Amino acid sequence: MAGIILFFLLSGILISQTQPFIKLSVKDYPTLSRVTIDSSFPLSFDIEKSSSLLMVNIRTDVPFRIQRGAFESRIIKSFGWSKGKDFYILAIRTKVSNFSYDYFTLSDPPKLVIDFTQIDEEESETPDSLKEKEALRERIPQPSTASPSSRTQKVSSALQGMKTIVIDPGHGGLEPGARGRFGTLEKNVALEIGIKLKAVIERNFPSRVVLTRDKDLDVSLENRAALANNNKADFFISIHANSSFRKDARGSETYFLSRDATDEEARRLAFMENNPAELGEGITGESEDEIQMILWDMAQSAYLKQSSLLAESIQKELNLLLRTSNRGIKQAPFTVLAGVACPAVLVEVAFISNPREERSLTREGFQVNVAQAIYRGLVNYIELYSQK
Amino acid sequence: MNVKRAAFLAVLLTILAILVVIFFRSGALEKIKPLAEVPPAVLEPSPSGPVQTRKIVLFFLSEADTLLHPEEREITVGSSIVRQAKQAVEELIKGSEKGYISPFPPETKLRELFLTRDGVAYVDFSEEIVEKHLSGSSAEISTIFSVVNSLAYNFKTIKKVFILIEGQERETLGGHINLSQPFLPLYDLIAN
Repeated sequence: MAGIILFFLLSGILISQTQPFIKLSVKDYPTLSRVTIDSSFPLSFDIEKSSSLLMVNIRTDVPFRIQRGAFESRIIKSFGWSKGKDFYILAIRTKVSNFSYDYFTLSDPPKLVIDFTQIDEEESETPDSLKEKEALRERIPQPSTASPSSRTQKVSSALQGMKTIVIDPGHGGLEPGARGRFGTLEKNVALEIGIKLKAVIERNFPSRVVLTRDKDLDVSLENRAALANNNKADFFISIHANSSFRKDARGSETYFLSRDATDEEARRLAFMENNPAELGEGITGESEDEIQMILWDMAQSAYLKQSSLLAESIQKELNLLLRTSNRGIKQAPFTVLAGVACPAVLVEVAFISNPREERSLTREGFQVNVAQAIYRGLVNYIELYSQK
Repeated sequence: MNVKRAAFLAVLLTILAILVVIFFRSGALEKIKPLAEVPPAVLEPSPSGPVQTRKIVLFFLSEADTLLHPEEREITVGSSIVRQAKQAVEELIKGSEKGYISPFPPETKLRELFLTRDGVAYVDFSEEIVEKHLSGSSAEISTIFSVVNSLAYNFKTIKKVFILIEGQERETLGGHINLSQPFLPLYDLIAN
């Protein structure tokens, strides 16, 4: 009996030691405050400064433990964490209104060192503080194999789970969307292509595919986004058929969300509900809203980059299929994309307002071809960027 | 004696009646004055002279490409920016004189336009802009940015445009582009 307990205790200790961790420490020097981030895994990160905050975006989808001791610092006030799908954001809150920072990395063991210097009025760094920084840099023990790690270093991930793909056939029910001259309705075409896309993905790619509607139903734009978020979607693909006041308009377009639309309350809330700052150290203080806003913004810029690459990959396949001149990828503030907390695109398959393309859209064969093209674009993207 | 008294009273009454008539007539005249004369004086400083106008640029679609194409129009100046902006939107709805394509359902009407101090123009359209809309993504983008670009391009005080329908905020025109926030102009959409 005692042996079993001992076994559990020991294995517990072993597991806790092998679990990835990040250790934060803060130390003040006469002219600067130094934050040292030690980690058990190579760090891939971006740093962004925003007034009194410094945001460190750590790209990893492996959960890790956070260790931090108490500290007393002239400049550093607190730490906050927020979690995205495949990244974590560390918000370092300062006590000063303005500061400058400098950082360097070591790779063995992985370490990120950020130095904060307070800026008084327009006074720039004094030669003294520079000298001190140099001296401090030398004082850090550097193993013989150590070399500054590359910022683009990739985090290897053993926990590559199955992808969840949410397909959103546009419109439905009382909301038919655009209407062609021969009476074809956008909602029907979108549903047909959406169902075919689900089938082709499931046949060929190990994944979980969810449709926002699988019949002629009214689904609000808000609920479509919520469905993607509740299912922890890795990708969101909305299917539509286009319409223009120009009779000659033809071809397919793939859209992703435009940036200046992201300061929208709904989207921020959607993100916060799905990604609470859950890692122990809550963000406190009067500027919680400000921090959450910046975190949301950073998360969005991470998704936007991925969305643009996914859009490009799908658009390439659609251009090949339809032999259309490249209408390219476009950005616009789509309501349905604004609420989704993952890479999200909206495909406008051909123009229902163009009688020739309207006829194509109603043909079974064309719908299958379009579904296969979107599928190829998605898988090409996953293989290129998403799987390590 | 009685006759004298009656005559005196009659004279008094007549004078009183004349005074009353003069009093009300002159009052009426003064009331009519501002309505008849003052507003034209504000709108047209020299009613007999030529009406002052300025050139503005409106943006329409063309069959040639997916961009917005400029077309000049003259509007009267001297009125407020809001009135000028209203003229611009009304001209836009009327459509092109050069054969460009109008990105509005022809039945659309401008209900109201107002400008906030921080430079947001609220443009309130009638229900037809939604009801009769083609409601494709491209169509919605054309409609929205034809208005937004035309206003921001011609009026420096207009920085952003918020689109209302029947005085209310709407989610979208036809299920695509988000109308619940003001738009900044997108000059990338303009040809040349």
